[in-house]
Amino acid sequence: MPGNKNTDLDAKLRRVIETIDIGNLLVEPLTRSIEQLLSASAATMGSNDASVLIRDGDEGDLRFLAAIGEVADQLRDLKVPAGKGIAGFVLSSGQPMVVSDVGGEQTFYAEVDKATGYSTQMMLATPLRYNDEVIGVLEYINRSGPPPWEPFTPAEMDKAALCADAIASLVNAYESAKLFRDLSERLMSDGDEELADARAWLRGVRDTAEHKEMMELALLLRELASRGDAERAMCRELLDAVLRFSDSRSETSFLGY
Amino acid sequence: MTTVTGFEDTRFGSQSTFFQLDDQWRSATGKGVSVAVIDSGIDTSHPEIDGRVRASFEARVDNKKVVFDPSEAGDSAGHGTACAGIISRIAPDAELYSIKVLGAGGLGDGHAFLAGLEWAVKNRYRVINLSLGTTKPQFFAPLHDLLDRAYQAGCIVVAAANNLPQPSFPSVFSSSLISVIKSEDTDPMKFGFHYGQVIELTAPGVNVRTAWPGGGYRNLTGNSFACPHIAAIIALLLEMHPGLTPFQVKSALYAIAQENQEGKSTN
Repeated sequence: MPGNKNTDLDAKLRRVIETIDIGNLLVEPLTRSIEQLLSASAATMGSNDASVLIRDGDEGDLRFLAAIGEVADQLRDLKVPAGKGIAGFVLSSGQPMVVSDVGGEQTFYAEVDKATGYSTQMMLATPLRYNDEVIGVLEYINRSGPPPWEPFTPAEMDKAALCADAIASLVNAYESAKLFRDLSERLMSDGDEELADARAWLRGVRDTAEHKEMMELALLLRELASRGDAERAMCRELLDAVLRFSDSRSETSFLGY
Repeated sequence: MTTVTGFEDTRFGSQSTFFQLDDQWRSATGKGVSVAVIDSGIDTSHPEIDGRVRASFEARVDNKKVVFDPSEAGDSAGHGTACAGIISRIAPDAELYSIKVLGAGGLGDGHAFLAGLEWAVKNRYRVINLSLGTTKPQFFAPLHDLLDRAYQAGCIVVAAANNLPQPSFPSVFSSSLISVIKSEDTDPMKFGFHYGQVIELTAPGVNVRTAWPGGGYRNLTGNSFACPHIAAIIALLLEMHPGLTPFQVKSALYAIAQENQEGKSTN
């Protein structure tokens, strides 16, 4: 930081910022990964429509984070008030639930259906758990093909729980990345004069050529990792070789050659 | 006539007879038996439930403590109404008490349902339907203690097993409560008992048609809906035999389930 003589602290802070920025770059496509996993799991559940809802605040509200299916675009960012509907129950109880004949009376789902033009007939909702905490709800709505549909079975409840574990890990990574990003954005946009020095320092760190290079490298890595198994394997081999070269060079330097 | 003995163990031969249970309980209605439903509340105006709920209470945090106030909030989630509907259908004259611990903002964790259970035990409701549980280890000891107090107070707690492949409390406690897991059977009287397993009772819990807030009905699947089947059966037993202890109730359920099983194998 400007005026701070403790260069060790400065270096450590730089490293933290680098780690956060690289982390953000690597987890940015997480919502896309969540939707891909959602699609794959919905196919095994015999359903075309599925959604992931996550906690929104501390009062038990939920909001749609990801959705696939007919009305996916309309669902994203829609909010569910605390304790309302099956999703609200699943969040607060931590228990899955299978319901047939969801529509009908003036229920929460009737309200959502009215807003989206969709017709929710049946649902399997299961909690997203991470470290013993319920962080959201995974829902599968209706079946593929024309009705009437067979209700979701107990075996499918178990299958959904497995999918929920995988999705919960991604949701947790997304939440962590979002937290860092939000904190960083707040720090950068806050008008508080006392933080002006910290903002200037942070801008300075991010403007350095070294930091930009590192971000480009992280982006490159992300791009390569998304290309396929063969590319990932080759990339790992190359990077391992670079590391070995670097290690041998530092050993050589140590011997004074 | 059902002969209620101890849990039979073939290594030691049959245990001595505890009491004879005639079949009158099968035509009982749960009259005079209080059944607490610790859940998301109950829609008391539902035609199947109307007039059966004696009182409704709701959890509220006051100065870091959970207190219970009379409630008119009903049930915005549906789960509690669904459980009450199952109890009402099997034991239509049972006196229902709604203890709402789910649904209130920020009150979704184990503390509220622990407080709800304590409230129910303090009020000495004879049957307590707990279609809920927690997997958080910090609740193990307080729940264990509370369930022992319920047992000593003569309250019969019926808990649903976790629907997820992980043990939940209190359903995994064996001695002080009755735990239930879903079966695909449809006849509420044909429940099962698997002595030696962590969750001993089985009852209908797949595609169960029951009441839903707003006057309608839903088909529901989950251990939550197996639990009220057994709570209602216990209400029938207690109407005919009000003095039964929790231990005797469990023994009676075991004996009836044995008969059910024999009936199945001879049919």
